[in-house]
Amino acid sequence: MTVARLIIILSHIPILATAIYAAVCFKQLTRPLRIFAYFVFMSALVQFISLFLWFGKENNMPLLHLYVPLTVLFLAWFYATILQRFIEVKIIWWTALIFLLFSIINSIFFEPLLTFNSNALTIESILIIILTLFTFIALLNDIFRQSDPGNTTSLNWINSGFFIYHSCTLVLFFFGDKITTVLSTMFNMYTWMLHSFLSIIMYTCFFISLWKRPTT
Amino acid sequence: MEATNNLNFLATLLPFSIVIFIIAVGVVLLNQHFQKNLYLQKLTEKKLKIQHQNELLRSSINTQEEERKRIAQDLHDELGSVLSIMRMHLILLEEQSSQNSNNMPSVVQTVRKLSETAMTSVRSISHQLMPPQLENFGLVRTLEAVINQGHNIGSLDIRLSAPDNFPQLSWHTSLGLYRIVMELISNTIRHADASIVDIQFEYHNQLLICKYEDNGKGLIKLNTQQGLGLNNIEGRVSSLNGSIGLTGSREDAGFRALIQIPLLNSL
Repeated sequence: MTVARLIIILSHIPILATAIYAAVCFKQLTRPLRIFAYFVFMSALVQFISLFLWFGKENNMPLLHLYVPLTVLFLAWFYATILQRFIEVKIIWWTALIFLLFSIINSIFFEPLLTFNSNALTIESILIIILTLFTFIALLNDIFRQSDPGNTTSLNWINSGFFIYHSCTLVLFFFGDKITTVLSTMFNMYTWMLHSFLSIIMYTCFFISLWKRPTT
Repeated sequence: MEATNNLNFLATLLPFSIVIFIIAVGVVLLNQHFQKNLYLQKLTEKKLKIQHQNELLRSSINTQEEERKRIAQDLHDELGSVLSIMRMHLILLEEQSSQNSNNMPSVVQTVRKLSETAMTSVRSISHQLMPPQLENFGLVRTLEAVINQGHNIGSLDIRLSAPDNFPQLSWHTSLGLYRIVMELISNTIRHADASIVDIQFEYHNQLLICKYEDNGKGLIKLNTQQGLGLNNIEGRVSSLNGSIGLTGSREDAGFRALIQIPLLNSL
């Protein structure tokens, strides 16, 4: 087994750890963190199915076509809950629905199910970067800190995880189709090793956020 | 050729990703730092606000105490003297009228007794407004005197203890603590249905500690007026830069107050 292959497999450990920890402490979580936990469960399920397909040398790209719109819908729910005092929730939901429509059209007409959905992933990252930056501003606000003081630390960690992951993988996703089609298998593996490293960082942030959850 | 393409592609993609990664981590760290600083700034602001409120409270209490002191002195020195002279003249008049053997003595005697009652009342009011011993003999001796006189205490057994190293307090601190202890005693008499009160003073590392304890009903049945009494105590403790802890939420477990006053700048 190559180092790159090992890193890609090991990158799933933080995902599994976060999902198990979210399930263990689910009853103690506040409403925004519970919504986030649903996202973690969905993400873990899709990524592990994807890993098994990869082991079986099956094409796991159709899962990515499902994972991207689902992620946007869950994150729209999560951010709509925490930003409801600062932004019209309808804007977030309409954006998510338009993205869902775009994602379906993209999967049918532009990037078929068996190919890398670079367009959808790039737009997903841009949308999430905008939401995370807006949340960073909201988290500095006194109204937010006073009305929801316990959640601030956890939300900060979640937001930081999303921001680091999506701003760095934006380039990878933008060139995703070229990486999978043009580059040799070895270089392709190195690129996804970089992605795994960013995924480890993101899920470590998620784990810390659940660890630092507000206690009553 | 393909390998060169691969290398060129990675040579651009990898550094670009690393740069974005550094920028993203930098943004997150700066945001954390900014949040921490903002939080510290808010804490400082809050601290300054509390300090300002304490200063206002202290100034208001000082003004009130100065006014009480002035009224007590005026009552004692002026009205007390007038009543004293009046009593002297009434005694003379009483003697003269007894020699003339008319009905006057009984009337004069009544007026003389009334003047004596008025003198006692004036003295009592004056002492309640400002205990005269406090400035000369200090807090512990004044409290001892109040307890020994037994006025308004009834059957309550008050035990007071103070260490040998009890510090010399400023008038402001002595008066503040005197008012706090008197308010606590008054609360016990009025609401606690207690038989024993234990007051202990301790002094360690420039921190004066007052432990107040009674064996009454505790804090369970507090009404608004009683709450106001405790607010007054808390206000006075704050004005002395001190802290107060109250316990006694269990029924019939008694009431306890722990007052801590730092004496660094107040001596």
